[in-house]
Amino acid sequence: MSADTISVPFDVYRYQPGKDSAARYQRYTLDLVPHTPVLTALLQIRAETDPSLGLRYSCRSAICGSCAMQINSKSRLACETQVGPEVARHGRIVVEPMRNQPVLRDLIVDQSPFWREYNKIEPHLKLDPRRPMPAGKVTVMTPAQVDRFKETPRCIACAACYSACPAAEADPGFPGPMALAKLYRFAVDPRDTAHQERLVRIQPNGLWLCLRCHLCTEACPKDVRPSERIRDLKEMAIAAQGATEMGSRHAVGFKENLKGAGQLNEMKLVRATSGLTGMLGQLGQGIRIYRKKPEIMKRPRKIEGMDELEKIYAALDPPPKEGP
Amino acid sequence: MLRHEVVVVGAGLAGQRAALAAAGAGRDVAIVTKMHPLRSHSGAAQGGINAAIGVNDSVDAHIFDTVKGSDYLGDQDAIEFFCREAGPTVIEMEHFGTIFTRAEDGSLAQRPFGGAGFPRTVYAADRTGLALLQGLWEQLGTARFTLYEEWELARIVVRDGRVQGIVALDKKTGEFQPVAAKAVIVATGGAGRIYGRSTNAHSCTGDGAAAAYRAGAFLKDMEFVQFHPTALLEGGILVTEAARGEGGILKNAAGERFMTKYAPKVLELASRDVVARAITTEILEGRGFTGPYGPYVHLELMHLGKEKIESRLQEICDLCRSFAGMDPVADPIPISPAQHYMMGGVGTNIPGETNVPGLYAAGEAACVSIHGANRLGGNSLMETLVFGKSAGAAAAAYAEKAPATTLLPGDLDSVTASYRAWFGRADGEDPSTLRNDLQQTMDRYVNLFRTEADLAEGLRKVRAIQERFSRVRVVDQSTVFNINLTDAIETEHMLDLAEVIIVGAIARTESRGAHFRKDYPKRDDAQWMKHTLALRTPSGPALSYSPVAFTRWEPKERVY
Repeated sequence: MSADTISVPFDVYRYQPGKDSAARYQRYTLDLVPHTPVLTALLQIRAETDPSLGLRYSCRSAICGSCAMQINSKSRLACETQVGPEVARHGRIVVEPMRNQPVLRDLIVDQSPFWREYNKIEPHLKLDPRRPMPAGKVTVMTPAQVDRFKETPRCIACAACYSACPAAEADPGFPGPMALAKLYRFAVDPRDTAHQERLVRIQPNGLWLCLRCHLCTEACPKDVRPSERIRDLKEMAIAAQGATEMGSRHAVGFKENLKGAGQLNEMKLVRATSGLTGMLGQLGQGIRIYRKKPEIMKRPRKIEGMDELEKIYAALDPPPKEGP
Repeated sequence: MLRHEVVVVGAGLAGQRAALAAAGAGRDVAIVTKMHPLRSHSGAAQGGINAAIGVNDSVDAHIFDTVKGSDYLGDQDAIEFFCREAGPTVIEMEHFGTIFTRAEDGSLAQRPFGGAGFPRTVYAADRTGLALLQGLWEQLGTARFTLYEEWELARIVVRDGRVQGIVALDKKTGEFQPVAAKAVIVATGGAGRIYGRSTNAHSCTGDGAAAAYRAGAFLKDMEFVQFHPTALLEGGILVTEAARGEGGILKNAAGERFMTKYAPKVLELASRDVVARAITTEILEGRGFTGPYGPYVHLELMHLGKEKIESRLQEICDLCRSFAGMDPVADPIPISPAQHYMMGGVGTNIPGETNVPGLYAAGEAACVSIHGANRLGGNSLMETLVFGKSAGAAAAAYAEKAPATTLLPGDLDSVTASYRAWFGRADGEDPSTLRNDLQQTMDRYVNLFRTEADLAEGLRKVRAIQERFSRVRVVDQSTVFNINLTDAIETEHMLDLAEVIIVGAIARTESRGAHFRKDYPKRDDAQWMKHTLALRTPSGPALSYSPVAFTRWEPKERVY
């Protein structure tokens, strides 16, 4: 580790209600060793140049979740993002508040949308009064049972996933990656007795609004992998009560649809997703598409390599195991 | 005016557990916290929580280890209560939903920790604090209480000989809010940030303890400051004791496993004060490594193997890789001691009562005392829960019977007047400059090895900073999240606490636990088997002493 410093230009988002009519960016240039965390640099700016720079921070060791922000357009923890690689890649460090949450001041956002969605999933063990916890003893849970939800307990609720999520941006009704990852943990925790109820409740309440872009998993500083937990929840929800929503019918329909020819039969997919009455509602759009692309109405031809596809399906739906 | 029966200040484990107990007793409870409860510093605790629930372990063994670890300054009645409650408490936390690491048979896994004669430490990988914080916050979500989030404590109001309420700053609006309360529970954690090199979060500024001191409560045993043996980089990021509990070893620059000299029987698993002094001695005597972050020794985990390191010490792996750019699977971790914990705090009895009627304290902010002169690893998480619960229950019982309290307009005005002066100045120093000077002073003069001359110089410097603070200037005029203002409020608190630490350390002319005086290197039971009590006066802390409670364990020389 060398003590050589580099010149680091920061462009920091500034907005003070009552003072600034609009957000602006302020340039600060600091000489720093490359491994300096962005948080340390921001605190240096506060101490030496501008005590009015607003940000949240606390533990500076990636465990309290306070200092998530946009750093060169990625949702990151400022405490564990070092300046060297950022400058090498982008030439400067643009620091902005997290997205999908209203800005209160500078880098500080109003996290109430994030917490509201978290609270909605009923984030606590639900117990059946007829099945109380063992008196005076811990519940027996094997390492394998605990391993089923080994990622979620790492969550520090920093909201980097929520900030990175395009579904949260597009639809305020989307619970967000963190809330769903948390829901997954309760839906597989053997101590919780409301697994079915939780799944039935979430299926029509935002589960299928996830766009499967995996940006949450990319943003998560603790490797919670929320998008994978959302995928698990979707499978569990279909297994629990079948495909009841457009989203789940689309997913199941898609899988069935490809089985025939290896390419999509668009008409069948629309019908599987929306039903016959739903198709009528989309008639106008269907006609417009047909005018531009008439081949869409044709039944697709079988692709080459159907045998490979069949192998994939065989792996997805293994034949039932024979009994002893 | 806002009014509640019980106001809990601080929302870490102690505060949350107190709130749960008081709400469970049917009281109208509010939590006032300067950050979201899940961001509390309790969540940064890594290694584990002690409970003698193993088949061959016993509560008596836990009591003895804690008494010995405290260097016989812990109150034995409190320690007995604490160790007996530990087992039921860990079971309760499991029932609340806490996700602990499990043994193959499905029971709770336990690991060895320093100063303990048995693998007694229940854990959740190396994020036990986070697991407990999640489990407790989830459980508290099923209770009725009011949350004042991102409110900073400014004052505890005492009038007519009892607590009347608090005044706190709502950081989102910049307004100081009076909150009347029959009982106030201080659960604001430690004050590690009076040091520069500390494992503590920036938020650990001792607000509640300082406000209690200003309100007339005793601060107890403040000179006992724990330095964690293994901290990383210049900032002192915590590397859990579990790293040694799982088998990690310490080596100096000559490649010697030096703990053989200092604690031949238990080596790296001696108590923290012993290991921290051993490391610093190696460094001071020239057997450390030198690097860009100062001198250090090696903590080796490589022999534990990749799988064990990555599963049991996952957070440490991540911290080393992303913060220090090294991999503990392949290379030794460069570590040295850093401030970690305050054994001292607001003096309380077992139910958390202070000398001020209506004022309670629990957790690191309090001093019962179970840790005495040195805390054992794994006992602080348990302390937050056991004594958070008892303080919550006691405050609820008090509030049920106490007559209504009230805050007067003057209570708020006196707070806002003093802060208004900070805003109005045309010149003066920034609070962060003063805080930085305080931290450097404490690092330099009030560290692991102390002498009268150093401590006296430290006190002189702290008092000079206090004097400079009377001209502090808050430049930021904004009402929304004014960190410049909260920095100033916190720094004022920290200066009070630093002064008490040093005054107590100068007076205590012996070495006991974490308080090591080079000029008085022996423990002196005849003179100093007693707790230090500090009361605030206009000319500084006035010290008095109180006896240590003994039950079954006679003081012995402490050897590991």
